Amino acid sequence: MSVVSKVSQDGQKLTISIKGRFDFAKHQEFRESYEDKQLSAVVVDLKEATYLDSSALGMLLLLRDHAGGDDSDVRVVNSSTDVRKILAISNFDKLFDIS
Amino acid sequence: MQPMEPLTILIAEDSAADRLLLSSILRRQGHEVLTAANGAEAVEAFGRQQPHLVLMDAMMPVMDGFEAARQIKALAGETLVPIIFLTSLSESEALARCLEVGGDDFLAKPYNQVILAAKIKAMDRLRRLQDTVLRQRDQIARHHEYLLNEQRVAKAVFDKVAHSGCLNAAPNIRYLQSPYALFNGDLLLAAFTPAGDMHVLLGDFTGHGLPAAVGAMPLAEVFYGMTAKGYGLAETLREMNAKLKRILPVDMFCCATLLCLSFQRRSVEVWNGGMPDGYLHCMASGERIPLPARHLPLGVLSPESFDERTEVFPMALGDRVFLLSDGVIDTCDANEQLFGVQRLQQVFAANRQADALFEEIEQALRDFGGEARDDVSMVEISLLEPAQITPPALVYSDSGQSCPLDWSVSFEFRAVTLKRFNPLPYLLQLLLEVHGLRAQSGALYSVLAELYSNALEHGVLGLDSSLKRNASGFARYYQERSTRLGELQEGYVRVHLQVTPTDDGGCLTIHVEDSGKGFDVERVMARPLEDIRLSGRGVSLIRQLGRNARWTDNGRSARVEFIWEALA
Amino acid sequence: MDETHVDRNVLSALQEVMEESYPELLDIFLADSEERLKVLRTADSGDRLVEAAHSFKGSSSNMGAVRLTELCHQLEQQARALPVNDIQELVREIDREFASVRPLYEAERQRCPAKI
Repeated sequence: MSVVSKVSQDGQKLTISIKGRFDFAKHQEFRESYEDKQLSAVVVDLKEATYLDSSALGMLLLLRDHAGGDDSDVRVVNSSTDVRKILAISNFDKLFDIS
Repeated sequence: MQPMEPLTILIAEDSAADRLLLSSILRRQGHEVLTAANGAEAVEAFGRQQPHLVLMDAMMPVMDGFEAARQIKALAGETLVPIIFLTSLSESEALARCLEVGGDDFLAKPYNQVILAAKIKAMDRLRRLQDTVLRQRDQIARHHEYLLNEQRVAKAVFDKVAHSGCLNAAPNIRYLQSPYALFNGDLLLAAFTPAGDMHVLLGDFTGHGLPAAVGAMPLAEVFYGMTAKGYGLAETLREMNAKLKRILPVDMFCCATLLCLSFQRRSVEVWNGGMPDGYLHCMASGERIPLPARHLPLGVLSPESFDERTEVFPMALGDRVFLLSDGVIDTCDANEQLFGVQRLQQVFAANRQADALFEEIEQALRDFGGEARDDVSMVEISLLEPAQITPPALVYSDSGQSCPLDWSVSFEFRAVTLKRFNPLPYLLQLLLEVHGLRAQSGALYSVLAELYSNALEHGVLGLDSSLKRNASGFARYYQERSTRLGELQEGYVRVHLQVTPTDDGGCLTIHVEDSGKGFDVERVMARPLEDIRLSGRGVSLIRQLGRNARWTDNGRSARVEFIWEALA
Repeated sequence: MDETHVDRNVLSALQEVMEESYPELLDIFLADSEERLKVLRTADSGDRLVEAAHSFKGSSSNMGAVRLTELCHQLEQQARALPVNDIQELVREIDREFASVRPLYEAERQRCPAKI
């Protein structure tokens, strides 16, 4: 499975891990990993993500919207250099905590 | 055995007894039976009646089963007509021949009813599967045609909206775009402001096809509408962002680079949200200054959070701004390697003739062996002498009978308003109600803009125009402007407009006052009229375009007139 | 008549399938077989022998004539390899075999007169 989600012990934090290409093919899986949950903090782990395109950016926006929009706490962690570059050009570091 | 739909089955068998036996077996199983005693009869019967399935004896006189099978398969074309060979041939060579000619299965003699029924059932399932595949294929092809047609219609509508711009008319713009770029989300717009500046937008919507194209129309309308009215980049950006945020779904947005090229002021104002780096090419030094994305794409942030801050760079005559969409960078070769920014930089470095840049990039893409894409868009805008650029005349729709000829109005814009409101488009619209002024709308707007920005920047904000003498000072100037405007607590700019009739026509007096410290009028006036435009208070511009320009109250008060002759 | 010559189960299965056409089937088989025997006796080329033997083998097997089927199979396989005398002997054996099973089929025919 290329989208794996895990909820923390106290049920407050959701970690979604993406494996392989983060693109439109993962659209449904990604949405299903968070849509039935009430969240206060989300971590998107891109350690095994090889590539990110504009539909992935859109998916992150949907997640952020679901998690409270401007009040959300969404972190994108373990991005590779390539992924970082894409996130930097689109200035998504202004919306998400990226590391 | 579960009952199945009756089929029409053709039996080709030369032995009369066997033929009779097989017919009876099949009829008993509920099928319709056609018979043939040799291959030729079989082909003829097939042509006439199109059975669903054929039971074919291999050895027959006149035409054997192999040849008959070949012919029947050819007649059937795309449709699957299963052929079951009736054979007691044991040599694998003979069996292989059955398959070669298109046979689908074998049935040995003596005929076993159970096996026969099972084979017929299996073959029929295959036949129906093939039928489904063909029908779905045709359905897909039809839908695809509809989609292509929808796109053609959408493109035609969009072209009408888009062609209100100056992309093809202006001599200083060069661009490259696929005709179907729109359906990959790529958008290129260009238009003149009333002052003769040029606004350019290179955009890239997320997604493909109609969803990507559909956001382009509202965006283009805002861009063209506001640019024509004289709104600056900041206000236009705010409107475009708000519109897209409102109408697009959460996961859709538009990366964009917006430029305002001013031929008068010899500068370019830039806003880049999510697009690849643009480049400002200084011809004198050969340097290419990157214009990176400092903002989120349009349609992501709410109006409250949107950042419309722009960067301003000086330009010399002949300098160019080059923008490209990510189709260039993302072009992939067979090994999934990207063309990338580095290769682009290499093309820049090797470029000797500025006019050849586009060709060189295209050649580099071809050499790279990448798959051609529909979303490779490039645009290059050069700074030319204002005289070389002639914006098209504005067309008005009213008759001129109810035109205000004798009136005055005064405005005082105070600190809070100065921070967030640009009154120029509104003032211009007001003045253009006076028909006699319409022919001079360009000059009028330029003068108004110059007076207002002087009053605001040098007057109220106290910025020193000499900062703009060089490139780095330029950047600092605009940063400082932003900061001071943000911190502004007090101050005002007053604008008084007076229109009075004269014997020949009419006269407009523009009087602008500010709450600043003023400046040394004598010294600035002493400078010759042709002074360079990087610094200086645009005083020479005002003097050139208007009449009787004069400064009083230590430079805090500026007046200028426009006169016109009555239209016949 | 013992079972190695005609398989009775096949006959009853045939009767069940054919219903009223059972007699017709028997008639056609007997007539066709006579024709084939003529061809076998007078065949002048290996190909014709093989074809006729093959065909006879097929219908015999359908009709449950086990030994007849076997003999036709042998002839089909060896028609090109055997010397002429041996072929003729095999044909005669086929002839004899058919002669011996023929009454059985005729008896079946008698048992089930065709309904008009």
